[in-house]
Amino acid sequence: MKGYLGEFEELVLLTIANLADQAYGVAILNDISKRANRKLSIGALHSTLTRLEEKGYISSFLGEPTNERGGRRKRYFELTDSAKLELANMKALRDQLWAGAKINLSLK
Amino acid sequence: MSIPPKNAQRLLRRFAGRADLEDILGDMDEIYSCNLKDAKEWQADLNYWRQVCSLLFSYGFKKRKISAAYAHYYSQNSIAMFKNYFKIAIRNFAKHKLFTTLNVFGLALGMSICLIALTVTVTVHLMDEFHQNKARIYQINTSIKGEANKTFYSSTFPATSDYLIQNYPFVEAVVDIQSGFKPVVDHHGQLFDFSGYFAGEAFFNVFSFNLIQGNPNAVLKDPFSMVLTEKTAKKLFGDESALGKTIKTDLGTFNVTGVMEDLYQTHFFFEMLTSYETYKKLSVTDLKNDWLNFRNHYAYTLLYEGTETSQLAAALAETAEIADAYYPDESIELRFIEVSNIVPHKWNNNNALGVGWEEKALVFFIAIGILILMPSIFNHTNLSIARSLKRAKEIGIRKVMGVQKKQIKTQLIIETMLMTLLALIISFFIMVPMKEFLLEMVYFSEVVDTDLNIYQGLVFVGFALLVGLIAGIFPAQYFARLNPVQTLKGEVLNGKNKVAGYKKGLFVFQFFMSLVFVTGVAAIGKQYKFVLNNNHGFESNNVLSIPFSDIDKQILMNELSKHPDVKAVTASSNLPGLRSSERIQVSSNRIDSIDVMQVYVADNFVEQMKMELIWGESKAISRSNQNEELVLVNQRLIQSLKVFYTQADTLRFTMADGTKCRVVGILKDFNFEPLSELISPLIMRYSLEKSNYALVTVNSPNIKRTITDLELIWSDIDQNRTFRATFLDDEIEEAYFIFVAQLKFFSVLSILAITISCLGLLGMVSYTTENRTKEIAVRKIMGATKASLFYQLTKDFLKLIAIAALLAIPFSYVFYDKIFLHFLIRYGTGLGVIEVVISILFLFMVGAASIYWQTAKVTKANPATKLRYQ
Repeated sequence: MKGYLGEFEELVLLTIANLADQAYGVAILNDISKRANRKLSIGALHSTLTRLEEKGYISSFLGEPTNERGGRRKRYFELTDSAKLELANMKALRDQLWAGAKINLSLK
Repeated sequence: MSIPPKNAQRLLRRFAGRADLEDILGDMDEIYSCNLKDAKEWQADLNYWRQVCSLLFSYGFKKRKISAAYAHYYSQNSIAMFKNYFKIAIRNFAKHKLFTTLNVFGLALGMSICLIALTVTVTVHLMDEFHQNKARIYQINTSIKGEANKTFYSSTFPATSDYLIQNYPFVEAVVDIQSGFKPVVDHHGQLFDFSGYFAGEAFFNVFSFNLIQGNPNAVLKDPFSMVLTEKTAKKLFGDESALGKTIKTDLGTFNVTGVMEDLYQTHFFFEMLTSYETYKKLSVTDLKNDWLNFRNHYAYTLLYEGTETSQLAAALAETAEIADAYYPDESIELRFIEVSNIVPHKWNNNNALGVGWEEKALVFFIAIGILILMPSIFNHTNLSIARSLKRAKEIGIRKVMGVQKKQIKTQLIIETMLMTLLALIISFFIMVPMKEFLLEMVYFSEVVDTDLNIYQGLVFVGFALLVGLIAGIFPAQYFARLNPVQTLKGEVLNGKNKVAGYKKGLFVFQFFMSLVFVTGVAAIGKQYKFVLNNNHGFESNNVLSIPFSDIDKQILMNELSKHPDVKAVTASSNLPGLRSSERIQVSSNRIDSIDVMQVYVADNFVEQMKMELIWGESKAISRSNQNEELVLVNQRLIQSLKVFYTQADTLRFTMADGTKCRVVGILKDFNFEPLSELISPLIMRYSLEKSNYALVTVNSPNIKRTITDLELIWSDIDQNRTFRATFLDDEIEEAYFIFVAQLKFFSVLSILAITISCLGLLGMVSYTTENRTKEIAVRKIMGATKASLFYQLTKDFLKLIAIAALLAIPFSYVFYDKIFLHFLIRYGTGLGVIEVVISILFLFMVGAASIYWQTAKVTKANPATKLRYQ
C-alpha cells in the first residue's frame, strides 16, 4: 500500500499541514476548493482521507461537540511521521528534477 | 434557521447501518449552512442531495460500514462469548467424567517428561546469571585450526591474561583459573581427596560469590592460601571456624584464608580454591611467556563499563597472532563468550571447565519428552473426534444460529487449552518426584536449583497452551466442517461405530512406541544381568580389594597371607573390571607408536585372578633388570605392533620414556575395563611399589569375621591409616551404574508410554462399547455367548495391537541389537528372542485387561434394561 502517493493525496496532506490544528473535513474541503479551484464532493474527500489513514499517513481523533453542527463532533486529522518522510521524499525528487531540467522552465 | 432535507439524512443513515457518521453529518450540516448564506434554500437542498449521493458510493463510506459490521463480533461482545465458552467447556468436562479423566491424566503423564526437560533447560539458561558484572565478564576460548580439522577449546594460554592487562586499558581485570588442583589432604592421619582450581587474585572481585569469612580482596593473594566452600569446611573442621587453620596436603601446607558459600547455579565446580600464585610456585614453566600450553588454563576477563565487545575482539585477534607464531603448522584464533552464556552454548567444547549441560543433550532430552507427549496428544485427538458424535448436535445448533467456522474452532481450542492447563497442574505433581529421582543420577545436582520459579512457571503455562493448541486443532477442524443439517438429523451417528482410518494409524503408533520402550527395558535388564554374572576373563568372586593408602605394602601382604581364611594375596595398580586411565605410548620401530594401557602388578597376579596365558611364563616379569623391562601383554598389543613391522622381533618394543621392554608372556584378550570399552592393548609390569590395591582371595565360612580379622592385622601394622575392604564384584557392579541409571530411565519411559496407550485404548473401547450397547443386547437375546460377544468387541483392537507388534519387532531388533546396545556395551549378548516375546506378551496382557475391564460391564448387563435405555 505504502510508497505511492497520488497527486490529490499529496494535495490533501499538504492542506492538512497548512491547516495545522484546524484540519477537519469542511476546512480541508474549503481550503482545497479555494486554493486549487476544484469542485470537490464530501464523498471524494472522505474516500481519500480513509485511504490515507489506511496507508498510515494520517491519524484522526474526534474533537469537542459544537453548536453550529447540531452538537456533533468534528473529526480532526493530523500527519504522521511517515507522511512527513514521504512528502520530503517527494519534494526532494521534484527539486532534483527542477534543478536538473535541461530546458528553461521558468515563465517570465 | 432551516435544517437540511430529512429524507436525504434518513437515506444516508439507512445505508450506513451501524456505521458511525457523526463527523460526516456534522461536516455536511456545516456545508449546508454555508450554502444557505450564498444561495437559495432549494439550491442548498439540491447540493445536500448531491453530497449524499456521492457519499453513498464513496470508498470512505463503504469502509466505515465494513469495519462497523465486524466490530460487532470482535470487540463488543467478546467477553460474554469467552465466558460462554468456559461455561460450556466446564459443563462438558463434568458431563463426560470418564473421558475427561482419561484425557487429563493422559496429557498429564505425557507432559511430565517434557516438563522435566523444560525445567532443566530453564535452569541451565539461568546459570551464572547471579554475577553482578555478568554482562562484562567474558571467558576466552581458543580455536586451533590444523590441516584437517578445527578444534575448539574453552581454555587459553597462560600468557594471555598478562598480555591483555598490560596492553589494553579497557580490560579491568583478568581471572586466571588453572584446573586440576587435586590435593590429597592429610587431616589428623585421615586422607581425603579434594578437587578444585588454582584461581587468580581477582576471583572474588570479578565473580559475585559470597565469602562467609575472609577479605575478598586478599583471600587468594599469597601462595598457599586457600578458600574452602562451606561444605568442605564442615567436612574438615565441623563446627569449628576454619579461618586461619592450616591444611597439610601432598602439595604442601596451605593456610585457610577464607570460607565461601556453597556453589549455586554456576558452571564452576570445586570444593576448594587456592591462589594462582601457588600454581606459579609449583609449575616449572614460565607462565608469563607460555604461549604453548592451553589445555588446563582458563581466563575470564572483566571489561570496564561501556567497552564494546568489538574492542575485545580486536584485542584478541592481535593476541592470537603472538600465539600463532608458536604454532607454525596451525592457525590460532581467540574468541570470547559472556559468562552467563557458557552453559549451555559452549558446553560441547573440548575441555569445558566445571559442570553443565550441552545444547545437544537438552535437545535430545526434549525430543524424548515429545516422543512421550505425542501419544497423549493422539489420544486426545482420537477421543475428541470419537466423542464428536455426542457433541455434533450442539455444534449443529450453533451453526444454525449463525456461528462462523472460526468461532467453533476457537471454542474447541479454548476447551482443549483448559484441559491442558488442568493437566499441567497434575503433571507438575507427577513431575516433581520424577525430577528428584532423575537428579539423583546427576553428580552435580547440589549446585543446580530446579525449584519452581517465575521463568519456569511462564514456560510451563506457555507449553501447556501450545500443547492445547496442537491437540485441539484437529478436533476443532473436524467439528468446524460438520454439516449442521446432517448432524441435526443425527446422520453422523450412523455407520461410524468402528475405529476408522487414521485413528487406527495413531493407535498402532502408540502401541508401537510402548512396545519399543518395553523391549528396551527388557534388553537393558538382560545386559545388566549378563554383565554381573559374566566374568570378564578373570576371577572376581571372593576377591577383596584393599587400598594401600601409604601403609607398608610388603609387610601388609606378608601379614595378610598368614591368615588361615586367605588363600592368596597379590596387588595391582588398577582394579580389573573398572575403568583405568593410565595410558602410555610404546613403539616397536621408534617411528610409529601406539597407545597402550599400563598396569602394575605384584607376584602371582595372573594366577590368582585366573587370567589365561596363551604363551610364555607369567612369573618371569619379576626378573626385570636395568637394561630390560620384562612385561606381560595381551594379544591385542601383539596384533597392533605387527601392523607396523612384520620382520622384526615383535616381542621387543620401547616405551616413550626410553625403557626397553621384552614380552615374556602373552595373555588371552580379556576385558580389563568394563564391557562397554573396546579391549585395548595392555601391558603388565611388575612393581609392588606402584601398586595401589591389595587383592586378597578369601575362602571363609564367616566373611564378616574374616574382614574384622584382616582389619586387626592392618591396625597392628599402622594405626593411622583407615582400613577399607570391598569385594571386587561389588566394585565392578558399581562401575556399571550407568546401566542402572538407564534401566530406571527406560522403565519410567515405558511405564508412561504404556499407561498413556492404555488410557487411549480404554477411551476407545469404552466409547465403542457404549455405542454398541443396543447391538450387544440384541445379540445376547438372540443367544450369543459371552465369549463370542467378547470376541466381537475386542477383535478390532487386538488386531491393531498385533499390527503394532509386527512393526515394532524388526524396529526394536535393529535399534537395540545393532545400534543402542552396541554403544552401551560392546561385549554383550545382544537382544534375545525371549525378551521380545515377553515384551509382546506383556503388552497384549495389559491391552486385553483394559479392554476386558470395559467390555465385561456391557456383556454382563441385562439386555432388557439396555434395550430400553437406548
